[in-house]
Amino acid sequence: MTDVLDDIAREVKENKVIVYMKGTPAFPMCGFSAATVAVLKEIGVPFKAVDVLAEPEKRDAIKSFSSWPTIPQVYAGGKFVGGCDIVRELHARGELAPLLRAAAER
Amino acid sequence: MTSPEEIRRRIEGALPGAEVQVADTTGAGDHFEVRVRASEFAGKTLIEQHQMIYRALGTLMPEIHALSLRTAAP
Repeated sequence: MTDVLDDIAREVKENKVIVYMKGTPAFPMCGFSAATVAVLKEIGVPFKAVDVLAEPEKRDAIKSFSSWPTIPQVYAGGKFVGGCDIVRELHARGELAPLLRAAAER
Repeated sequence: MTSPEEIRRRIEGALPGAEVQVADTTGAGDHFEVRVRASEFAGKTLIEQHQMIYRALGTLMPEIHALSLRTAAP
């Protein structure tokens, strides 16, 4: 578990915007992951996607990484942004795009 | 299978006085939409608010396949 957590910590640090999801952006395997990716695509920032179904060791590890029990999870600038509901709510408030763009440009 | 009443009880137990709405979106007891309005949320980030709900649900979380959550302070 420790090694996996180290891998995740490195990924989150090295990728300005990263989403841990079920499936891929082209073929999401869960409605929440699909909705989250749709928001990221709408904002248009480049992002990395990690498919926890293809990397099952990360499926539980990502939950303890942020003490967050659900997937998808979005990180920007090394910080946890939220799951699907929070991402959608921040987007509805107009707060998500500036947050992600600031992280992407850093 | 989890009942909407059990979810409501857990949240009200953790956040006394909270206004809680729970909908079982498929009728199968594993997909829920939950709305919570609680004074404890004041000054907290959305992440912190949702974590308070996840903590309140505790052992129920693994049984719940899908949980859509909206939280707000009064």
